[in-house]
Amino acid sequence: MPSIDHKGWTKRLSRELSAAWAIARKDMRIYYLKPNIIVSGILFPLFMFLAFAIGKNAPAGTLIPGLISITLLFSASSIEPVSIPIERRVKTFDRLLSAPISLHSLVAGESLSGFLYSLGIACLPLAVGVIIFSTPIVHVPVLVIAMILTSFCFATLGTLFAAYPTENVGEVMSMLNTVRLPLIFISGVFIPISTMPQIGQKIALISPLTYGNDMIEFAYTGKSLFSPLLDIVVLVIFIMIFQIAANHLYKKFNE
Amino acid sequence: MQAIEVSHLIKKFGPLTALNDITFSVGEGETFGFLGPNGAGKTTTIRILTGISRPTSGTAIIFGNDIEHDTIAARQTMGIVSENSNVYDDLTAWQNMIFSAELYHVGRKEREKKTNELLMTFGLHERRNDKVHGFSKGMKRRLTLAMGLVNSPRLLFLDEPTSGLDVQSNLIIRDVVTELVSEGVTVFLTTHNIEEANVMCDRVAIINKGNIAAIDAPESLKKTIQSVQSIELSFNHSSIDQLEELRRLPMVNDAHKAGDKFKLYTEDPSEVIDAVMAYAHTHNLKVISITTLGPSLEDVFIRLTGLRRTGGAAHAID
Ligand SMILES: Nc1ncnc2c1ncn2[C@@H]1O[C@H](COP(=O)(O)OP(=O)(O)OP(=O)(O)O)[C@@H](O)[C@H]1O
Ligand SMILES: [Mg+2]
Repeated sequence: MPSIDHKGWTKRLSRELSAAWAIARKDMRIYYLKPNIIVSGILFPLFMFLAFAIGKNAPAGTLIPGLISITLLFSASSIEPVSIPIERRVKTFDRLLSAPISLHSLVAGESLSGFLYSLGIACLPLAVGVIIFSTPIVHVPVLVIAMILTSFCFATLGTLFAAYPTENVGEVMSMLNTVRLPLIFISGVFIPISTMPQIGQKIALISPLTYGNDMIEFAYTGKSLFSPLLDIVVLVIFIMIFQIAANHLYKKFNE
Repeated sequence: MQAIEVSHLIKKFGPLTALNDITFSVGEGETFGFLGPNGAGKTTTIRILTGISRPTSGTAIIFGNDIEHDTIAARQTMGIVSENSNVYDDLTAWQNMIFSAELYHVGRKEREKKTNELLMTFGLHERRNDKVHGFSKGMKRRLTLAMGLVNSPRLLFLDEPTSGLDVQSNLIIRDVVTELVSEGVTVFLTTHNIEEANVMCDRVAIINKGNIAAIDAPESLKKTIQSVQSIELSFNHSSIDQLEELRRLPMVNDAHKAGDKFKLYTEDPSEVIDAVMAYAHTHNLKVISITTLGPSLEDVFIRLTGLRRTGGAAHAID
């Protein structure tokens, strides 16, 4: 009977979601205050940003969108690359791998903690903009959606990199940094995409940060390179690609 | 229905064959032991049966659910206690338990009740709000066991549950397992302790280097096990002829020489000690040292598979 099928399906889904949420809460309790996460998730984007902002003559308030973008990038992708290798080493990761949940829920649960962390952290530059520089926000809903999607996208990217089967945090971090550091320069955060050379503009298209940053710029200035709708679609596609790739890799590397 | 049905399981890690075509089944309610030395493939078997690792070939079915294809259904009824006490150091004992219950979809009321009960049973209730960080090895082991039981499993995997523990922790763990068995829980445990396998298991599989040598009731295996007790001794001066002569003593099954020491295999050590003393007396020798050794797993395995020991290595006799 279809109604029973339906019931079984919703029960299964709610179980998967609550297990994913339990994994996320566990990560929050254990890792949010770990020193290396604070360094790579908070201090790193801040210093990065200051290094650029000091050289620029633009009014400080106009730098807020860029600061939000890179904060989201770094904080969202900093939890799992630290937590997962550590848990591999102390074998608690086996608990997750042997739990009666799908691998997708495991991946999503892991990403969820990075996601919430980065949303929390990104409220800092947001608040600084509003309170200190009175930077106006033109489209609040767009900003909310942009922050959510960007953050989830990079949290999933972090989980994807953490699939690399090592017990060494440094190994995952250095691989991740070879990807996420260049992203700052090719995504229009500091250098507007329109002023980049042809080849740079092409490369910008493959960076998810381009679309997240474009949407955040739009929310603040009303101007964007693409439309927010296109940004949303592309970000969702990136999230799906990262999620599926992560799922695939966790399965593959599982001996 | 069988609790576990394993058929032609092979697991390779690159060139290394960790499991070499093993087949066995475990009935519901049975306590089944995997007895084997380090590196035998015990943990590898558990990792495959719990779906953490995938077999190179062969199948494993848990209560009718194939672990590779109906993974979630197969896992729902399991409790897993891994060989390392894999608890979260930065969480409290209580949080560890609750998290474990959440992973297994245990409802809120039930998980709090179960957590209270289990922490009480394992003598951890007073420390429930302390971070596990400061727990002793035995406390962590008991917590690991409690976490494995929080979903009231029908099938419990215990990977070397008592190794390295003191007598008291050991007893608590054995009592709990006995209690579970009386409630009909199926237990699959690994150990390299012959005595433990004897006390706890209905049937024991002896495994070495990825091969199962025998599966039998511990009583029957005991005979084989006892036949490979041994005595190690040395005389004040030794010659190579002595080896042959010692081998011919009554009750000696086999003998070999390592350095200035002789090792005699027997099922009756005390008889052989008497014989050795008499031998020394008639040959005007002094016994410098003599020790009885319990059976080593390696020896049992060699006896069972018809391998013969030469020096340190073992090779087959055709
Ligand atoms: N992930 C892995 N990669 C490569 N080899 C492995 C891996 N896991 C296990 N092995 C090898 O497989 C063999 C069996 O190991 P396993 O851990 O199953 O032994 P065990 O019986 O549990 O031993 P112990 O009593 O020491 O726990 C060993 O030779 C081991 O080195
Ligand atoms: Mg082992």
